[in-house]
Amino acid sequence: MLQITDYSKSYGGDKKAADHVTLSVNKGDIYGFIGHNGAGKSTTIRAVVGVLDFEEGEIFIDGHSVKDEPMACKEVTAYIPDNPDLYENLTGIQYLNFVADVFKISAAEREERIRKYAQAFEITGALGDLISSYSHGMKQKVAIISALIHEPKLMVLDEPFVGLDPKATFQLKEIMHEMCEKGSAIFFSTHVLDVAEKLCNKVAIIRQGRIVASGTIEEITEGHSLEETFLEAENE
Amino acid sequence: MNKTVLLLRTLLLSTSSVNLLKHSKDKKKKRRVILAYVGLFCLYGMLVGYSFAICLGYSVYGLTDSIPALCAVTISALAMIFTFFKVNGYLLNFKEYDMIMSLPFQPSTVAGCKFLYMYIKSLPWYLSISISMLAGYGVFAKPPVGTCIIWLILSLFIPVIPSLFASLLGFIIAKLSVGFKHKKAMQTILSLIFVLFCFSLRYIIEAFFRNGKIRETLESMSGSIKQAGKIYPPIQWFSETIVDGKISGGLLLAGVSILLFSLVFFYVGRSYRKINSALQSHRAKSDYRMTRQKSRSVIHAIVFKEFKRMTGSVVYMTNGAIGVIMAVLLGVITLIIGFNKVIAIVTNGAPVDGKMLQPAIPFVVYFLVGMMSTPAFTPSLEGKNYWIVRSLPIKKETLYRGKMLFNLYLTVPVMIFSVLCLCISAKVPRTETILDVILGIMLCCFSTAWGCACGVKHMRLDWENEVEVIKQGAAVALYMLPNMLVVMALVVLVVFLGLRMDRRVLSLIFIGITALLSLLSYLRVMALAKKE
Repeated sequence: MLQITDYSKSYGGDKKAADHVTLSVNKGDIYGFIGHNGAGKSTTIRAVVGVLDFEEGEIFIDGHSVKDEPMACKEVTAYIPDNPDLYENLTGIQYLNFVADVFKISAAEREERIRKYAQAFEITGALGDLISSYSHGMKQKVAIISALIHEPKLMVLDEPFVGLDPKATFQLKEIMHEMCEKGSAIFFSTHVLDVAEKLCNKVAIIRQGRIVASGTIEEITEGHSLEETFLEAENE
Repeated sequence: MNKTVLLLRTLLLSTSSVNLLKHSKDKKKKRRVILAYVGLFCLYGMLVGYSFAICLGYSVYGLTDSIPALCAVTISALAMIFTFFKVNGYLLNFKEYDMIMSLPFQPSTVAGCKFLYMYIKSLPWYLSISISMLAGYGVFAKPPVGTCIIWLILSLFIPVIPSLFASLLGFIIAKLSVGFKHKKAMQTILSLIFVLFCFSLRYIIEAFFRNGKIRETLESMSGSIKQAGKIYPPIQWFSETIVDGKISGGLLLAGVSILLFSLVFFYVGRSYRKINSALQSHRAKSDYRMTRQKSRSVIHAIVFKEFKRMTGSVVYMTNGAIGVIMAVLLGVITLIIGFNKVIAIVTNGAPVDGKMLQPAIPFVVYFLVGMMSTPAFTPSLEGKNYWIVRSLPIKKETLYRGKMLFNLYLTVPVMIFSVLCLCISAKVPRTETILDVILGIMLCCFSTAWGCACGVKHMRLDWENEVEVIKQGAAVALYMLPNMLVVMALVVLVVFLGLRMDRRVLSLIFIGITALLSLLSYLRVMALAKKE
């Protein structure tokens, strides 16, 4: 579903924010992308979703090149950034309708999906309020619903659990599993190693822009905890 | 370091491109900043040339002594308008409010620094006028060097009082608005009323003096300016200091400016926290029930988003909608009092034949409607939200088409309405009226596409305050100033040509030229969208 090959990105200086990153996310995978602050997680994620241009390497989503066929990639992808800056002057429901219009979701389908996910995240009552009045967690919930509204084949999330309450965190994990069972793939970055260990079937560890380990949880940890493996990889 | 200086320095640094030039490693960004500076200096140059030319005109007619007063009037008017448009967004309701107010600063210090920040940011505009007028005055009046130095020093004080007045008024409007349920709408309406009042001030003053039977004094521009000095003493203080060498006037100007600054910010500081808190608080009903949803096409979804962006921002509304509101008012007033009466008011009773001005009707309306083109700043307004449209399957071409369509929805109906009002009142024949309406629509298309071309070419997403792109953006400046000057020239040209050739042919020629320019601008937008 997602194939990153030799992807590199620098911001003008000599140092590369992402350095020959190669990884592959298949249908049904919940793929965790872990690394410390500034390791290159967001740089990679932003390139995957077509927000950031890049010079070197190739990224394919569902067989389409992000560089050459960005629209085809975006049609099947959903992205939730680490800090959901949404349109503050729209109400929650207006924003969700905006995204649904962009993906040409019929009125009946969007209604059903918004109803389902808004109830799951307990945000239905607030959908008529302006986004500017929302807390960080509420914005995050609206961003998640907007990502689910078109049933993406690939969902890319940057630190999705930051700011969510425990119940919403649980709901998001359930939705992630549900999506993967239906054949979608999930690629997300996180700092929370416990979550990654329990939720993901595959992980990649990135350090100073380079992938230092990747594969299934079992392959990477070799019987240790993910935390120990991560710290070991960091100290190498 | 003094806290005020520290805060002011940080505020200036945080929005300064110089910092970006110094520390950014991104060459593309640096090049953009340099180009923006080049563009800005070109605009300063245009203003300098324009101001100097006015001084020459005054001197040729022996009105050199009126130049200092003219300089003070121009700077004061500009300072009042500039500041008033920026109050909401800089002085009040600004993004970093929580961060700054959580630091150990007095509310009055924060408010004072924000004011000084607005003042310093606009100072190059004021100085461009002042220095060029000083040069114009110097050539003909040959004042001693000391007078020139005093002129320059006092130029720094001239904008202070009108800026303080505009700040205080913006503050009072905000204070009144917070008591209302729809405080943003209330603030927008009150702001628009004030701006309209400013634009019609000249006529109000004239009407006031006409009643006093001193119309003779106002028959020349010089007389009007001197009269302005009587209503607003700082103009007289400045003029007296320069022309008559009365130092007391200069001291009075500096002293009163400093005193008023202290008084205003003592007053503002007292309820600064309360008003900002009220402006930033949001009413949340939390009682939404899922109802039937409607679907729209992608382009109309963007149009709707743009509409909500406009209605959600006082700065956007007051800047983006002022031209169309004035055009509607012009249409209605013309219908009520008649075309010839409107011309008499605008031209100060000059013996102008109304029929002669008929071919200029679409350009006159366009002067107001095209005052601002929303796509000149809406690409930049995406700011931190840009990730949304970039990560969604929206082609950039579609995004900009949506932004342009919104501007057309805003301007075309108003253009048609006002042109029809003016044509009906002026008794323009039917065919000419139709041609005028078509020309008006074409002008709207041009304004939209040209505005969008400027907006995309000079898009700036890393702003901290929307005022930076709506009021101070390079794109807006590049759209607005040449556009206004060209329209003024076109009004003269069309009247001149209208006397020499068939009116219908003239309209058709202008329709053709405008359509071509619109198409070229549109193609430019599409090319820029592909390149971006």
